[in-house]
This record gives sequence, structure tokens and C-alpha cells, in this order.
Amino acid sequence: MPNALHLACASMLLVATASCGAAQPATAQDLGRRVFAAQCATCHGATGQGQPGWQEPDASGEMPAPPHDRNGHTWKHSDAMLYRIVKEGWRDPYNKTQRLSMPAFGATLSPQEIRAVIDDLKTLWTPQQRSFQQQESRKATYPPEARLR
Amino acid sequence: MNRGRRAALAAGARAGAVLAVTTAGWLPGLALASEATGDAPAPVALAFDRRSAKLLRASGHAAASSSDGGRHWTALQGLQATRPAAIAAGIGGRLYVPGPAAGILRSDDGGRHWIASTSGLPQQPVRALAAHADRPDTVYANVERHGIYRSEDGGRQWRLMDAGPREGIARLIHTNMPGSMKSGWLVAAGPHGVQRAMDCFCGWRKAGSLAGPVRDVGFDPSLPSRVFAATASQLWTSEDGGETWTVDATAPTAVVALVAAPGSVLYGARADGQILRRAAGATSWQAADA
Repeated sequence: MPNALHLACASMLLVATASCGAAQPATAQDLGRRVFAAQCATCHGATGQGQPGWQEPDASGEMPAPPHDRNGHTWKHSDAMLYRIVKEGWRDPYNKTQRLSMPAFGATLSPQEIRAVIDDLKTLWTPQQRSFQQQESRKATYPPEARLR
Repeated sequence: MNRGRRAALAAGARAGAVLAVTTAGWLPGLALASEATGDAPAPVALAFDRRSAKLLRASGHAAASSSDGGRHWTALQGLQATRPAAIAAGIGGRLYVPGPAAGILRSDDGGRHWIASTSGLPQQPVRALAAHADRPDTVYANVERHGIYRSEDGGRQWRLMDAGPREGIARLIHTNMPGSMKSGWLVAAGPHGVQRAMDCFCGWRKAGSLAGPVRDVGFDPSLPSRVFAATASQLWTSEDGGETWTVDATAPTAVVALVAAPGSVLYGARADGQILRRAAGATSWQAADA
């Protein structure tokens, strides 16, 4: 029968194992994917496909979450705009409710996490879309707080 | 009467013109009313140059400017062969008209000289032009069957931004009314009402419930959320960027083109070519040459 010491060691082993299982992201892309899965996928879909009927207001008069893949229009926005929207949120002025269309994540995510998830979205686009977005971002880059370290 | 004026009047009469164009410039429409028969070719587009405070018109065979609110007009030189169907004025005073067959012409000196620009534009006519409400070098051009192009260097280089509303565009404006993800909104008059999109091109949506063809749209630069729309029979006003519309009961007749100037002055052009003006807060319209 395990004694208290055995149980304590087993608990410490479990905690150690759990800590090792939640490994730090190896790359910025890993970080971006984790952030997307944890914070964005609920609304924008696990693969960034958006919500059904995203192009029209829903029954409550709000715009559903759009896709972030090649079928949406995220790729038309500069890094600066995308960063601002993720950090501060945004409300479609023609929503029938006062809620934000896009919640603000500035208090939840660090600047590096925000940048990482935006950079991860770019992997969902075509080469032409990435090139377009890169041009849009030339004069509207990430803010200094989100500089790569 | 010189040969040029005689020829112009004859052409005008055949077209049912009230307004006539001479080689020296425009003549006030009503002054010729007794000399011509029928109606003028309908003005195709109006614009307002905020830098020079001049009213501009493009009528399919020439373009002209007026310093006195439409009472007298002066032809914009060098455009006789272009047959401009649209005209736009940037906030910095740069003027744009469609090129004769493709591209655009731009002028940095109030229309005295024009430079052609086709870089990035397809070899198809430009049907609609819109200058950014507060960025002097940004302008938009709609090319049928291609989409909406944007230039951020005063019309020199163009880039395809969007296919535009599926229904097509008769007229396009840019307003800096608040709420956009980027810097403003594009509002388009089309065959099935008014369409609206943020100028980051996040997709077009129908603005309000106006049905049927809309000939022109405009916005009040003094209150950018105030938008106007001209249909075949009425003038409409919206105070919320096109979401809801009310009939403008002050309009005496339908207009085919309209533009709002600073100070909430509204100009409209009738099908017979007459320019009408409504001052801010006024409940009636005046003929421009009254």
C-alpha cells in the first residue's frame, strides 16, 4: 500500500511530466498556431474557414466571423491594420448590437503573440495574396512594440 | 455668329441640347435656350474641387469648370477628344477624367494640362472615378469587367483592389465617414440601389433598401455620414451612411448627377443640363444662373 511519501513523489512526478508536456513553442509559427487554436478558432474556425454565411448579417444583426484563409479578405489588410484590430477590437458600425464584431485581445495577448498569430494566418493565403498583403504592409508595418526579438 | 458656335448649336439642336459648347468654352445654358431646340445632352458627372472651390462637370464630350456655382463655365482644355464620362477632384486639387479609350488623364494645374496614365490599368474604358476624401494622392477607378483599381501616387501607378459590387457601378464616391477599418468608405451607385464597402475592400454590402437604378451618389464633406442618392424620379438623403434613406422633399425634379460642396451646399444637374443649387439648410433649390 503506497505510503504518504510514495504519493508525494508520484504527485511531483505528475506535475513535472505535465510541465514537460506543455513545451514552449519552438518557433514563432508554433506560437502563432497555438494562439490561433486557443483564441481564434472558436469564432473563425479551426482551419480559418470562418462562420457560415459570413458575408451577411446574422439573425441578431451582427456580421459573423469571416474566414482568414484565401476565401476571405484578411489578406487585403496591412500588418498594422491587422495588429490594431486584434489588439483593440473592432465593431462594424452597421451591427444592430453594440457588441464588438471582433473582440480586443490587447489585454490577453502579448505584442509578440499578436504578431505571431497574424503571421501564421499568412500561411493560409496564396502566394499572390501574400505578395499583395506584403505591398499593403510596406507603409503600414507592425508597431515597434511587436518587433521581433 | 461664328462658324464654331453655329456648328455647335446645330449639333446641340440635333441632340436636343440646351447647353452649347464653343471652341472658346461653355456658354450659360439658359442664355441659349431661345436659340436651341430640345434638351441638352445630360451632364454625365459633377465634381467639386475643394482647393479651387470650383464646380466641375463632365458631359460625355467635354469637361468644364465653374467658379460661380454653375452660372458660367470654362472648358477644361485638352479634353476635346476624350469624351469624359466621369470626373473626380482630389482634395489637393488634382483632377482626373477617364482616358479616351483606357487609362486616365490627370491634371495638376486645374485642368490646363493633362497627363495620360495607364500603368497598371487594363486596356478598357474607366467608367467611374472617386478621389479619396482626405488623402490627396489616393484615387479609385472602376473598369468594367475588371474591377476597382487604386492609385496612391496621384494616378501614376494603379493596382487592382477588388472586383467591385456584382451588380456593377454607375458612379463611385469615397467618403471619410467614421467606422471604417481603414480610412473611409466607397459608396457605389448601381442598377439595384447603393452598395457600400470599407476602403480596405472587405466586401460590398447593399446600403439601405433603395431599389432600382441609382444614377449618382454623393456625400456631404461637412458631414461625411450624410449621403445622397439620385434615382430616376427622386433625390434621397441618408444621415447614416446609406443605411436608411428618406426622400428629399426639397428637390424640385429628378437629377442625373449630383455633388455636395463644403458648407453642405448641394448641386444637382437635371436631364436638360440645368444646374440647380441648394444652400445649407435651405428648403428650396435655385437655378445656378438665377
